[in-house]
Amino acid sequence: MSTAVEASLARFLDSPGVTGVALVDAVTGLTYGVAGDTAEAGDGSESSEFAALVAERLGRAGAEGELESVVTTSLRRHQVLVTVGRPAGDPLLLTAGLDRARVNLALAARSMGDLAGEVLA
Amino acid sequence: MRASAARNLPALLLGLREEGFSGTVRVAGTPGGTIHLRDGLVGAIETPGAPTATSTLLTSGRIGDEDWLAACAAQRGADLLGERLVADGLVGAAELEVVCAAAVFDAAFALSLGAPGSWELGDPEPALLARPGVEPRQLTAETTRRISLLSRLWGPPGELVRVRPVPGMGVVEGPLSGRHEDILNQVNGRRTARDIAFALGRGLYAVTLDLIRMQTLGFLRWETPTVPGGRPSTAPRVTPGRTPAAGPPPVPSRTEPLPRRTPRGGEKGGK
Repeated sequence: MSTAVEASLARFLDSPGVTGVALVDAVTGLTYGVAGDTAEAGDGSESSEFAALVAERLGRAGAEGELESVVTTSLRRHQVLVTVGRPAGDPLLLTAGLDRARVNLALAARSMGDLAGEVLA
Repeated sequence: MRASAARNLPALLLGLREEGFSGTVRVAGTPGGTIHLRDGLVGAIETPGAPTATSTLLTSGRIGDEDWLAACAAQRGADLLGERLVADGLVGAAELEVVCAAAVFDAAFALSLGAPGSWELGDPEPALLARPGVEPRQLTAETTRRISLLSRLWGPPGELVRVRPVPGMGVVEGPLSGRHEDILNQVNGRRTARDIAFALGRGLYAVTLDLIRMQTLGFLRWETPTVPGGRPSTAPRVTPGRTPAAGPPPVPSRTEPLPRRTPRGGEKGGK
């Protein structure tokens, strides 16, 4: 759908172990673009609802500030959600699927955080 | 394609996609609107029911008025205005895609809330377009998903966008995010979700979702409309940051006289 968005997302696939990545509206769940394996990137509406739920529960528990990222780990993969702030407009989410056998989670999370600021450039 | 042959608007758009139609579809009704198609893909939808991409960019302050006017003057054809905005460095290409696509889906959602009206096809008209455009099938699927979700969370979406929330008075659970605080500053018992969306330059659907979540958390409550199916809201649009702190709407006093305009002829021309 979005050539500029998808070109921007494609850079994430250069990181080892990243199998799919998507840019999702954190409020509406609309997926603006996908690079790599769509299924690995995760469903946009489910990801946004999950991130909102986590943020809400953390807020009730006394956490302050906006949600930064969520990492869910299963036997073979990690699912990473990273909040992308914008100068104006609703926040976005970068959702990525990572292959546990090939990825260094700490490095991948840091790389995603760094690139998240450039995804809308 | 004969416009009258389609049984509904989604079917019409699918047919026009197969034909690769470029032009406009004017939809009658409330809210009604204009759908801009290029090669059968939906590039933009203008409707009084939801902010356009232009409105979103300007109201949110993402692009300043002067920069916008300069770009419009330099690029006469509105179809290429997006390219001009990117070339001038006013917005990134990816961000513009996000804003335009979001506006298309939001306007389709707003259109779906009204009673279906008639439509007519027309020639292409200039508009700030989503590139490359949205597939009609995807637009219909997403709109259906939104309607279903709101119906599950609250009830009929058509009624939801007409209620006028008021600030909550009970115990509030959890902190208030900046986004929710902006909404709360607009909530005064007179504004609908649509009014708030226009005032903030945000999508109608996004605002509606936030209102439901805020109501659940106790930040606001619903003011049930007194006249079912009443006329659409005509509350004034307010620039963000100019609204006083949230509170219940003032109750007009019947004993106080109406304010009078004081003649200030001596100060004409100002300082």
